[in-house]
Amino acid sequence: MFKNPWKKCGIGLVGIFLVAIFAGCTNSESGQTDEHSENSASSEALLEQPWEKTEAAAENSQVNLYMWGGDEGVNRYIDNWVAPRLKENYDITLKRYPMDITEVLQKLQTEKRANKETGVMDIIWINGENFKNAKENGLLWNSFSDKLPNFKKFIGQDRADLQTDFGTPVEGMEAPWGKVQYVFFYDAAHIKKPPQNFIELAQWVKENPGKFTYPEVQDFTGSGFMKHLLYDKMGRDVLENELYREELTNEHGDAVWQYLNDIQPYLWKNGENYPASLTELDRLYSQGEVWMTMGYNEARAERLIEDGTFPETTKSFIMEPGSIGNYHFLSIPFNSPNKAGAMVAINELLSPEAQLEKMQPSVWGENTPLSLEKLSEADQEKFKNIERGDSVLPSEQLEAAYLNEMDPAYTEWLKENWMSEVVQTTH
Amino acid sequence: MKSFIRRTMKITVLTLIVVGLLAPFLILGMSSFAHEWRWPQLLPASFSLRAWTVVFQDSQLWEALFVTAVIGMLVIVLNFLLGLPAGRALAYEEFKGKSLIETLLLLPILVPSLAIGMGLLFTAIRLGMADHWIGVVLIHLVPTLPYTIRILRAGYENIGWKYEEAARNLGASPFTVFKTVTFPLLFPSIRAVAALSFVISISQYVLTALIGGGQVITLAMIYYPYVSGADRPVTAAFSLLFIVLTIALLLMFESLFLRSRKKV
Repeated sequence: MFKNPWKKCGIGLVGIFLVAIFAGCTNSESGQTDEHSENSASSEALLEQPWEKTEAAAENSQVNLYMWGGDEGVNRYIDNWVAPRLKENYDITLKRYPMDITEVLQKLQTEKRANKETGVMDIIWINGENFKNAKENGLLWNSFSDKLPNFKKFIGQDRADLQTDFGTPVEGMEAPWGKVQYVFFYDAAHIKKPPQNFIELAQWVKENPGKFTYPEVQDFTGSGFMKHLLYDKMGRDVLENELYREELTNEHGDAVWQYLNDIQPYLWKNGENYPASLTELDRLYSQGEVWMTMGYNEARAERLIEDGTFPETTKSFIMEPGSIGNYHFLSIPFNSPNKAGAMVAINELLSPEAQLEKMQPSVWGENTPLSLEKLSEADQEKFKNIERGDSVLPSEQLEAAYLNEMDPAYTEWLKENWMSEVVQTTH
Repeated sequence: MKSFIRRTMKITVLTLIVVGLLAPFLILGMSSFAHEWRWPQLLPASFSLRAWTVVFQDSQLWEALFVTAVIGMLVIVLNFLLGLPAGRALAYEEFKGKSLIETLLLLPILVPSLAIGMGLLFTAIRLGMADHWIGVVLIHLVPTLPYTIRILRAGYENIGWKYEEAARNLGASPFTVFKTVTFPLLFPSIRAVAALSFVISISQYVLTALIGGGQVITLAMIYYPYVSGADRPVTAAFSLLFIVLTIALLLMFESLFLRSRKKV
């Protein structure tokens, strides 16, 4: 065999590469501790000092906003409306990074483990289960929301519907950014009068076989549908703002499964398949295969109609006993490099002007977490006069039907049992 | 008569292949311009430029295209630097623990990257490569290098070492041997490696998001969130952009090679 000049070189290179990767694990952490103490010292002060000082500290800085980037209306709102405004009013450069919350939390979790006290994210968009995880694992900075002037003025700490986020106490660790309610959408070209309650829905499903389905329980919207059924079968007084009670699921569980089994043969594909996600259900609806879809955000059909995804005859409805609503929030990670800037930016996002713009159907369309009665007369008028579009129900109707999210343990119970109780049962 | 049948069959098969290859592109192209396209319409009811406006109005699109292309090309270069020697050693040499090393080199594609993602990020943070494009380039080697080594090893095995030996006996330096003998013979494998590592690199979302920390914005970072939405035209437009990027790179690669071959 002749001499091979590449052999040593090749194995050597691969070796160096592997060594370099593993060597990283044992690297020292020197230099990070100083940064840490300094960082936390100044960030504690942020919560004590007057707001003007925070604004001054935020001047001429960059704020990195990490948020899901799959909605061009939302993206445009941040890039073309919020960012220029922050630049002009506070000399803050707002940069939006598209990243799913799952990756955001994975990243923060790893940074926490690696003691990386100066990260890259200043603001993250979060709620529900993710907020619970982040809070329990110490990935969020501190209780900051009641330091924001706009929060104090227009929302306040005492709002009953903002004490918990899907059952997890908020405690000021995140500031509410938007409010959505769960509604059903239907094609008025096919349905003259939408059902008013679950009994009528079952009737309608049986009269129109194959034209209705709901996403499976692992999907957020799918479990949302079933939570409405829980409200219907168990009653509002034992679920709203109450802790999970096992005897309730024991007592009423059968009624819930019976309802779902009862309609199953009349669902899309005879109930043999369920859409895996809301996206799939939306596609079926946009293709006219089913005549109803659903989901959080009472106004989300507006732009889908405008861009031709949904039929123009799309309308929405809610049923007895009501419509579950929740909030989504903005929070600051523990290792944000610019907490002052993050606070100023979040405060600006909670201003009546920013919320008003966000609520325009062509921009985003969703509801505001601000208490309207706390706004000035002129602003109240503006909010009331927004044309949210024909597919959105009147705000009085939505507000009257508002139901709080129930204890997340019920969602767990649904997830554990739906597959065996509904999907795997034979007819 | 016989030749006639053969010719018609040939033409039919060719047409089927062309249609099968082109149809998905046509549908993608049409979806990206469709305004309302509902079953059972054969063609969209009306057309609009909305999806393409969304794509090209994205404030980060051009930067992302540039970053994606540069990262992809660096990944190709590193794949060659590491894969050529490794593939060759595995093809020609016998040594202790060879099968163990082979398995080790193949492991990254057997283990899902999500499972090792957190550990890799941890290491990247310690090395100071997190949130930086260098880290992203290195991490893209994880899903690409195993394929590269496999392909190049098979390539080397096909040629055999005798051509190289002959050239060496005639007095050529190792570099000349590589340039005039090995490289041209190995070219099909090299082309496959370039295409494959580029495609794998540009479509990485999870690894790029984790190691790049969102600071390194590639096309996948902008495109993936849209896939989870119901907006089919925008998804279609982004998909086409992906394809165009890959084709552009392959054309560039091909023309570079043609030119270098003419010089020889």
